[in-house]
Amino acid sequence: MKKILSIVLSIAIAIGALTLLASCGEAEKKTPEIAVVTDVGQLMDKGFNQGTYEGAKAYAEANNIGYKYYQPANGSDATDNDRIDAMKQAITNGAKIIVAPGFLQAKAMETVAKENPDVKFVFVDGWALGLDNVTAIVYKEQESGYLAGYAAVMEGYTKLGFTGGGGGTNPAVNRYGFGFLQGAEAAAAEKGVKVEVKYSFKYGETFSASNELQTQISAWYADGTEVVFACGGSMFQSVLSAAGEYEGAKIIGVDVDQSVESSKVITSAVKGLKVSVEKVLGQFYDGKWDAELANVAQNLGAADNATGLPTETWSLTNFTVDQYNALFEQIKSGAVVPVAEVPEDVTAGWNNLTVTIEE
Amino acid sequence: MIFLLQKTLIFTIPLLIVALAGMYAERSGIINIALDGIMIFGAFVGALIAFVLRKTPFFVDNNQLTFIIAMVVAALAGALFSLLLSFSAIKLKADQTIGGTALNMLAPAIALFVIKIFFSKDQLEMGRAADSSGKMQDFGYVILNDDVGDVGKIFFDKAYISTFIAFALFIILSIFIYKTKTGLRLRSCGEHPQAAASVGIDVNKMRYLGTTISGALAGLGGYIYIATVANGTASGAVAGMGFLALAIMIFGNWKPLGIILGAFLFGFLKCLGVIYSQFDFLKNLNLPMYFYNLIPYIAVLIVLMFTSKRSRAPKAEGIPYDKGMR
Repeated sequence: MKKILSIVLSIAIAIGALTLLASCGEAEKKTPEIAVVTDVGQLMDKGFNQGTYEGAKAYAEANNIGYKYYQPANGSDATDNDRIDAMKQAITNGAKIIVAPGFLQAKAMETVAKENPDVKFVFVDGWALGLDNVTAIVYKEQESGYLAGYAAVMEGYTKLGFTGGGGGTNPAVNRYGFGFLQGAEAAAAEKGVKVEVKYSFKYGETFSASNELQTQISAWYADGTEVVFACGGSMFQSVLSAAGEYEGAKIIGVDVDQSVESSKVITSAVKGLKVSVEKVLGQFYDGKWDAELANVAQNLGAADNATGLPTETWSLTNFTVDQYNALFEQIKSGAVVPVAEVPEDVTAGWNNLTVTIEE
Repeated sequence: MIFLLQKTLIFTIPLLIVALAGMYAERSGIINIALDGIMIFGAFVGALIAFVLRKTPFFVDNNQLTFIIAMVVAALAGALFSLLLSFSAIKLKADQTIGGTALNMLAPAIALFVIKIFFSKDQLEMGRAADSSGKMQDFGYVILNDDVGDVGKIFFDKAYISTFIAFALFIILSIFIYKTKTGLRLRSCGEHPQAAASVGIDVNKMRYLGTTISGALAGLGGYIYIATVANGTASGAVAGMGFLALAIMIFGNWKPLGIILGAFLFGFLKCLGVIYSQFDFLKNLNLPMYFYNLIPYIAVLIVLMFTSKRSRAPKAEGIPYDKGMR
């Protein structure tokens, strides 16, 4: 027995040593100057975190700079302390600029940014914190939502669904949702049809998939809903599973182009996470931080090509890319302005929509 | 209504099979509180196998075959994993509740560790894959069949083969434990192992058998759960289904008929709690959603309160077998 144990142990130690060597070999690379501290929902969420990380990665690789991501402990239940730890870890490892997506990171970022005035912070989906080493990027999600809602109704769908993460407290998700309604209303008025929308923040407070969400969404599809806008990271998985049970069921993706995930995805309401993170990093490395970014909140939209629908993977047939581009230009020029402020009651005030809230 | 029944059926299956798993272990005298952990482990291994298999177009074409293989592997994984429990409980005579709790903590840790290391995310999706013609196919084992009338729809539309396999297993194993010699011996080890030993039954062997069957069923149940009701992803959690199954087993008085009743009752309430808003009379009550989400759990509490007097647990469960004790 002892013999076996000692053999097993020595093998374990040998493997451990090998992996240690291997990781040393990798660590010889550059210090990770660019750090990404993820929001709830993990790095490879095919959405928000991943888009941000890909922007940082693209810039870093193009300019031969070290980069690294940090995931705060405790996953979807991460606390401010977990985020602070992750940011401090990044700084200890030599980060000069920390990109942190998600408005939940405000408190942690404020704390760490005050303690480390030399380190710069990019607050994606956030706001200016009154600190010179923080810059914020905000998107006009309502524009992407608007385009998605418009496209869905123009394509011929009249029964839509929207399921959002964050329990109704996440401003970006709320803007997506309200924009979606406005777009559907506009298209319904144009086509002269009546459109029903099921609107819910019921499951997915932590942007994660659950059996409840899957059951709820399949009930929607069973009830005749044709397209569901899955607005929140991993919640997509639940909607996808539900859609798998219905032949005609369709999905609208969010944040990044999710058509690679399933042929059921008709389009995605995207925001230019990758592009804008790359741009901000470029400004930082060109020495323009103080002049252009310090304590600034950029509000990016169609005019900056930061919102919209992906045209490279266009799959709609009744609503064409040309029609889309025409509408996009109107938003860009300001002829069509989707409202960003979400009212108390989203069910009221529509002429062609019937919005039912599920709560 | 048909939708509700369809969903109830699908939701019931993992509960049913895992509650049966609990019954097998406890009837042989081992408290298997690790059902939840074994489910997680089985789900994880099954998802991993399905993920790997689906890299080969053949297994994407033959979707149901992949499902069966993944179920078998998940059951094997569950059986192997449960050996940790039986080894500690039977060979080392350790406290079974503590051993089971250790397994419950170990399983999500292993699953999440592997998923995070290799996939950089907190859940493993079985995902999209190319079939032999190069076309990408979504993951999903569901069998669609609209053309079977209303009653037929409940069983054959949006159905999974796992439902039928689980029912078959349930019937076979219920007969096995009541009508065969081995089944009788296994049950006797849960009631009075010393008496069983006195007539030449190998108590330890019977207990290993009971726990291993239990582990296999729990692993299978875990995989069925993620493949049919929980997003097709292994995430290091099964939403406490293992513990619910344990409660259903107690509700069912450690008997198959009671278990199947409890599983259906709970599955029905759980589904109703999620989709109550489809029913106008429930929606018009204007109660908050949390109320409906609570119903199944409160119902279990209440039912247990009234039935626990009659509840008859196997007498020797949880007590390490000691030859010298009489």
